[in-house]
Amino acid sequence: MDWAILPFLAAPFAASLILTGIHAYLGIHVVERGVIFVDLSLAQIAALGAILAILLPFTGGDPHDPGVYWMSLGFTFIGAAVFSFVHGRRARIPQEAIIGISYAVASALAVVMLSKTTSEAEHLKDMLVGNILGVTWPKALNTAFLYGAIGVFHYLFRRTFLAISLDRERAAADGVPVRLWDFLFYASFGFVVTSSVSIAGVLLVFCYLIVPSVAAMMFADRIGPRLAIGWTMGTVVSILGIYFSVVLDLPTGAAIVCTFGLVLIGLALVRPLFVRIGARR
Amino acid sequence: MRLIMQTFITAALAIAALAHPAAVAAQLRVVTTTTDLAALTREVGGDRVQVDALARGYQDPHFVEAKPSFILLVNRADLLVVVGREMEIGWLPPLVTNSRNAKIQPGAAGYLDASLNVRILEIPTGQITRAMGDVHPSGNPHYWLDPDNGRRIAQAIRDKLSELSPNDRAYFAQRHTDFDRRLTEAQQRWDAALAPHKGTKIVTYHRSWPNFADRFGLTVIGYVEPKPGIPASTSHLIELIAEMKRQQVTIIMVEPYFDKKTPDSIARETGAIVLEMPPSVGGVPEATDYIKLFDYDVNLLVAAVKKATGK
Repeated sequence: MDWAILPFLAAPFAASLILTGIHAYLGIHVVERGVIFVDLSLAQIAALGAILAILLPFTGGDPHDPGVYWMSLGFTFIGAAVFSFVHGRRARIPQEAIIGISYAVASALAVVMLSKTTSEAEHLKDMLVGNILGVTWPKALNTAFLYGAIGVFHYLFRRTFLAISLDRERAAADGVPVRLWDFLFYASFGFVVTSSVSIAGVLLVFCYLIVPSVAAMMFADRIGPRLAIGWTMGTVVSILGIYFSVVLDLPTGAAIVCTFGLVLIGLALVRPLFVRIGARR
Repeated sequence: MRLIMQTFITAALAIAALAHPAAVAAQLRVVTTTTDLAALTREVGGDRVQVDALARGYQDPHFVEAKPSFILLVNRADLLVVVGREMEIGWLPPLVTNSRNAKIQPGAAGYLDASLNVRILEIPTGQITRAMGDVHPSGNPHYWLDPDNGRRIAQAIRDKLSELSPNDRAYFAQRHTDFDRRLTEAQQRWDAALAPHKGTKIVTYHRSWPNFADRFGLTVIGYVEPKPGIPASTSHLIELIAEMKRQQVTIIMVEPYFDKKTPDSIARETGAIVLEMPPSVGGVPEATDYIKLFDYDVNLLVAAVKKATGK
């Protein structure tokens, strides 16, 4: 291993820890609510907003114009409103179906709009999807601050958020305005996911969200231990993934995603040992 | 597991040692974005430079996934040569920013945009409108596929290398002259091979070949997928097939990194031949340097045209 690479990996590694911190927590909610693909869907809706903004005259076609960011955030909030509204009815249609449809239509709309642009369309999609290797310190610190604020918000209202995620009907029966809280959840979640995708790309963000909480569910039932397992796994996988990426010279994001898969398989294989010990006790 | 890990580490150390032998300290370290620029730098720089290309020859240079080794290469470079014209806009800027190498930042002495003194086609004039389709505001970035542009790129590289390493000026000048002579000879060969087929009408997958077509007198009448990554509309394909039948187009040129499903189905409709033409050095094993790339492409094209026309 060429140690000279280490200083360049510090900011990406810090970013991966920030992603672990917020996503392993949000992942528990997402898995409990059974809305696994909500992040892909919201990210795609946000990308659609960004592409629309770039095509509109007021941004002048510059992907770094602040208008692009606000437009994509606005779209995220619209998506959040849709998801919290759809859940409000005890309909036979599962929410995952709505999420999947939103994803497909938002992706296709982006393609349709890009096909009507004049120039550089092929790069727009890339510019919206980040590469964790390209993270700079200012970007990492900025993100840490933003996610910290979201984290504090979720910590303050953790009981309400958890009550709804674990048992929505009971929370509603207890008089909690679930639709409002659903909107707050999806809006804050969409805000985080959109920023994360611009840092690390869609695949990596999905893994940081879902894999740690799934792994934690195999070994623990209560929220506290599950968070601890999720955070530990996210950190270990980030270190291992970046290590593999350097030693085998692989694209860093893809290396971390594959490591997530490997570690999850490993955990699934050793799980019977733990369960048996637990049963004997 | 530990054994595997140790093997990995040992292998990585061995590779690192091979890649950076102590003897190269005096050489200029040149990093290029594409293999074509690397090949031209090798022609001029000889053993006074160490050249690494970031993209592989069989990769689409529009889309390259950054790897940790790229950061170190760019960090240690004395010179970065880029295609420019927004070719690498999707992946190079964060790499250059994060390299913490002041020498190769845009505008610095160690940054060479190879497109500055070449002949660029398809530069839009006046207001860009949507009616013009997919237009690069700064012109078509596939300009290296004209040997005369290769000659100009080699000149720019010679001047830049001489500026960065003035003691080797004579060496670079001599190597450049030699390359220029071999390129001129090769060009006579290519011109002769393609002269009987002047005016041959072709369809290309992406807009990668305007300079090549312009140089060798081919006429591009349409594109399979005008925008990469965005599937062409059905009406576009129907029009393209009709136009190919009307003008009796027999060649569809496809870059190796594009899917051949659509070109193949167009070929079934029209009876045309799908040619997999590498646009970059290393795109096929035979194309080991700039001149051999044209040798390969010209031979492939001539053989296909002969087969199609029976001449």
